[in-house]
Amino acid sequence: MNRLSFHEEIRKNKISSIFLITIVLIVLLALIYTVGFILGGDYFFFIIILGTIFSLIYIVGGYYKSADLAIASVGAKKATGQEYRQYNNIVEGLCLASGLPKPKLYIMNNPQINAFASGRDPQHAVICVTTGALEKLTKQELEGVLSHELSHIANYDIRFMTLTAVLVGMIAIISQIFLRSLFWNSMMGGGNSRGNNNVIFMVIGIVLAILAPIIVALVQLAISRKREYAADSSAVKFMRTPTGLIGALKKIQSNTPMKVSGAVAPLFLAKPTKEREWFMTHPPLVKRIARLERM
Amino acid sequence: MILWITLGIIAVVVIIFFNYYNNFVRLAHQIDNSLAQISVQLKKRSDLIPNLLSAVKGYMKHEKGVIKEVTDARKALVGASGVEDKMKAGNQLQSALKSIFAIAEGYPDLKANTNFLQLQQELSAIEDKVAYARQYYNDGIMSYNVMTNMVPGKWFASLYGFKKREYLKILEAEKAVPKIEF
Repeated sequence: MNRLSFHEEIRKNKISSIFLITIVLIVLLALIYTVGFILGGDYFFFIIILGTIFSLIYIVGGYYKSADLAIASVGAKKATGQEYRQYNNIVEGLCLASGLPKPKLYIMNNPQINAFASGRDPQHAVICVTTGALEKLTKQELEGVLSHELSHIANYDIRFMTLTAVLVGMIAIISQIFLRSLFWNSMMGGGNSRGNNNVIFMVIGIVLAILAPIIVALVQLAISRKREYAADSSAVKFMRTPTGLIGALKKIQSNTPMKVSGAVAPLFLAKPTKEREWFMTHPPLVKRIARLERM
Repeated sequence: MILWITLGIIAVVVIIFFNYYNNFVRLAHQIDNSLAQISVQLKKRSDLIPNLLSAVKGYMKHEKGVIKEVTDARKALVGASGVEDKMKAGNQLQSALKSIFAIAEGYPDLKANTNFLQLQQELSAIEDKVAYARQYYNDGIMSYNVMTNMVPGKWFASLYGFKKREYLKILEAEKAVPKIEF
């Protein structure tokens, strides 16, 4: 039936999650420290403490409210059982197959075929599909797509994606604040009381502020791509056949880019925007289809 | 030093014993729960039948045989006890429903009836759900049996008194290749 081991995939996912979150946390702390050192002066410790508190609130808040934020940012609405009977029925069936609780179902108005899952654990998960997916996919293909999204929930990918989206966003914000304040500082011509030391730290700070978001995003994307393969595999495990998902991915090949914010882009079934190879959140569709056809 | 090592070993052994016991219990619960899920779906199916029959009665006046078949199968399902019996009755009902839907193809008025269409969709969704619940049940049985048959799980299973469990068999009629007539 399927020669890839699912437990192995899930285990690898967990290890790479920890790896990524460690890297992001180190970068985040280094960034706060450097920024505090350069801008703080006498208020160094004050800024460090304030920055850490602010970051923690941001991370905790983002972690608990991520699903609502993702749903709100794409303007999705609830898919009720009355109106979207088939959508609800398919998810209920797949939940029986996977032993997961039924996630909250949403629908977003968009003619492209796409879908995403979010939330912090299976008990607080949401799935959202585009109106295009409901209209253009056959029942079996839609089942394949929803099975893929449920796999993200079962594998705890949603928690990982949520955490990284929050952390990566955090680093981007700090870098932005730092670079902007440097710019204002130099405009006002102030803050050069600490001589050479200051210049070296300034350079380190600028380099870090520019590179940190890029490095972290690249690591996140590399892991995100692997997770798509794992979710494809588990989707086949739930459905016992890859046919539906293959059909859906083939139809998605003719998708045109969607307008969504960069933060939610990695959540989607297929990459919603056009990116360069390295900046892709998803592996190329051709490779995913080839892999599914081997199962 | 030796004392600590001994205590450490004892702690590890106790954890292993607990862990195996908990795994058996967890899987057994999962299996029981998925069995209950199958019954829930079968119950939903039998609850929908009266609505379906009242929807088709007006149109299918000359198809008494099929309607009786469905009614009988539903009665058997409601009366069945034990999952094997319920599954058997459920399959019988499913095949009776198939003939109703096949006959409905010949009644354009009925096919245009939204109530009928909705029931048809609902019943086919239930059929999918029964299949998925059964698949999950069999997945659970597989993990459970693998654990009770492999060493050292085998020893723990006999120690705790957990026995091998049976898969839900697909009934002969369902496995048979459908006859194609021209």
